[in-house]
Amino acid sequence: MNAIEIRNLTKSFGSKMAVNGLNMTVPEGAIYGFIGENGSGKSTTEKMICGLIRQSGGSVTLYGKPHTDGDIRAGMGVLIEAPGCFQGLSVWNNMMIQAANLSIPNAEQEVIKVLKMVRMEGAAGNKYKNCSLGMKQRIGIAMALLGNPKLLVLDEPINGLDADGMRIMREVLTDITKSGATVVISSHVLGELEKIATHYGIIKGGKMIAEMTAEELEASCRTYIALQAKDMSRAKFVLGSRFSRVEEDEAGYLRVYDAVKTEDVVKHLYDNGIVVSEVKTAKIGLEEYYIDLMKEARGR
Amino acid sequence: MTSQKNTFKKRFGSMLRVDFKRLFLSRAFYIILAIALLAPVLILVMTTMMDGTVSVDPQTGKETVIEGFDNVWQIIGSLNTQEGADASLSMGITSMCNINMLYFGIAALVCIFVSDDFRSGYAKNLFTVRAKKTDYVASKTVVLTFGAAMMILAFVLGSLIGGAVSGLSFAMVGFHTGNLLLCVLSKTVLVSVFVPIYLIMSVAAKDKLWLSILLSMMVGMFLFMMIPMLTPLNATLIHVLFCALGGIGFGFGLGAISNLVLQKTSLV
Repeated sequence: MNAIEIRNLTKSFGSKMAVNGLNMTVPEGAIYGFIGENGSGKSTTEKMICGLIRQSGGSVTLYGKPHTDGDIRAGMGVLIEAPGCFQGLSVWNNMMIQAANLSIPNAEQEVIKVLKMVRMEGAAGNKYKNCSLGMKQRIGIAMALLGNPKLLVLDEPINGLDADGMRIMREVLTDITKSGATVVISSHVLGELEKIATHYGIIKGGKMIAEMTAEELEASCRTYIALQAKDMSRAKFVLGSRFSRVEEDEAGYLRVYDAVKTEDVVKHLYDNGIVVSEVKTAKIGLEEYYIDLMKEARGR
Repeated sequence: MTSQKNTFKKRFGSMLRVDFKRLFLSRAFYIILAIALLAPVLILVMTTMMDGTVSVDPQTGKETVIEGFDNVWQIIGSLNTQEGADASLSMGITSMCNINMLYFGIAALVCIFVSDDFRSGYAKNLFTVRAKKTDYVASKTVVLTFGAAMMILAFVLGSLIGGAVSGLSFAMVGFHTGNLLLCVLSKTVLVSVFVPIYLIMSVAAKDKLWLSILLSMMVGMFLFMMIPMLTPLNATLIHVLFCALGGIGFGFGLGAISNLVLQKTSLV
């Protein structure tokens, strides 16, 4: 069964169409990376999934039931924009309030458990307003984890997290999906997302332009040969005469995308009197794939 | 994990616990309570000090004698005379500085409490896991009615302290202790009429505190003039019953509208 199924979802704010006929399928147990530019409709979609704003059209089903179903919604955890905490209260009291909202039986133990999961047990007595941005994000994640949620919706949870915070979050999300939970996570930090996501959805202008599994993404991410030569402009010209796609990247490497073997590329340059100083093979990552996809979408 | 079955009783119970916890943890609640306690002390002491003072208009030379309270109970209520005239209307400055103004203070309590839910983002967490808006409206009505009733009682307590400090008379003329208790009870019960009004304005304005207070004051103004008539010093059980019926009617009627507002509008 799919955790989330969205069909022809639309949301307009006045004359502006924020989400425009969006289709989305999130399988149960997936970590779904939801990617898109600023203003592409990610947060609006997530808010509609959580029932915080009403859709203008289309349907959202969670585990085969309408997303308005109270029992299904009781099994959700959410972190959208900022953790919903009262500034003047301590972390502990904020967590206990949310635990009471969820009618969690052993609230104290549960709060301690989730605070430990995000390594924030030492900050339980701190006032929320005195916590740093990274601490607040961790608290938000802990709050979303209360009550063993079946479905987690996280909007930019990595924002403000340090390297350790990101590692902890990766561990936590991977662990909870092992117990059958599903995670929808939107982020602009694609490198981090790539480490944990099992599925991806790429949204642009309120429409889903690509949806794939991590394996499908891996397959569609091309291998390339990156090299540096003494005369880069001539090397680019020479390679361009033989290979169909040659580009210079931001790091100053020439990338040859459709070459079969590294030796062919090096030999071709050598035959043309160009000395190669460094050569390596690599694969384009999610970030580059996404940028390419966005370029293609703009070109359409 | 399987879906949990949440009955209304369970949901409402936990929501009430949350809201009571929030109320008692809220600094704003204690500040408002302190104001409700200190305001009558200051009013009674100051008006007693100013009683009989003559102020002269420098332009017209017209003299005005400032009248203070004759006894402590005037700050709590006024007598409903047989002619139906409100005795408080003839009190001058004291007609405005009495317990009735506290009903505007209740607007502040309700608006701060509700707008904080939306400003903090707590409403997002809450409404994601709780699809039923009825729980929220019902719980807020109960808890804020309790909070508002505490304000009334704090004001009454402050009036007794202020009366003792300023040396005002505690003599009851035209009513007895039973009437006084019923008057305080009817005023306490009457908050259940005002809270749903302020609640509906607050859920409509959401995180815009200024707007919710403005709307609440405007709408509350319509009922403000009825307070002395509904809760006189010589109150009887009828007055209490009437206030209770009004509270139930407003609670359910306006509660349903508040619920509808939450259902039909965006929650963030």
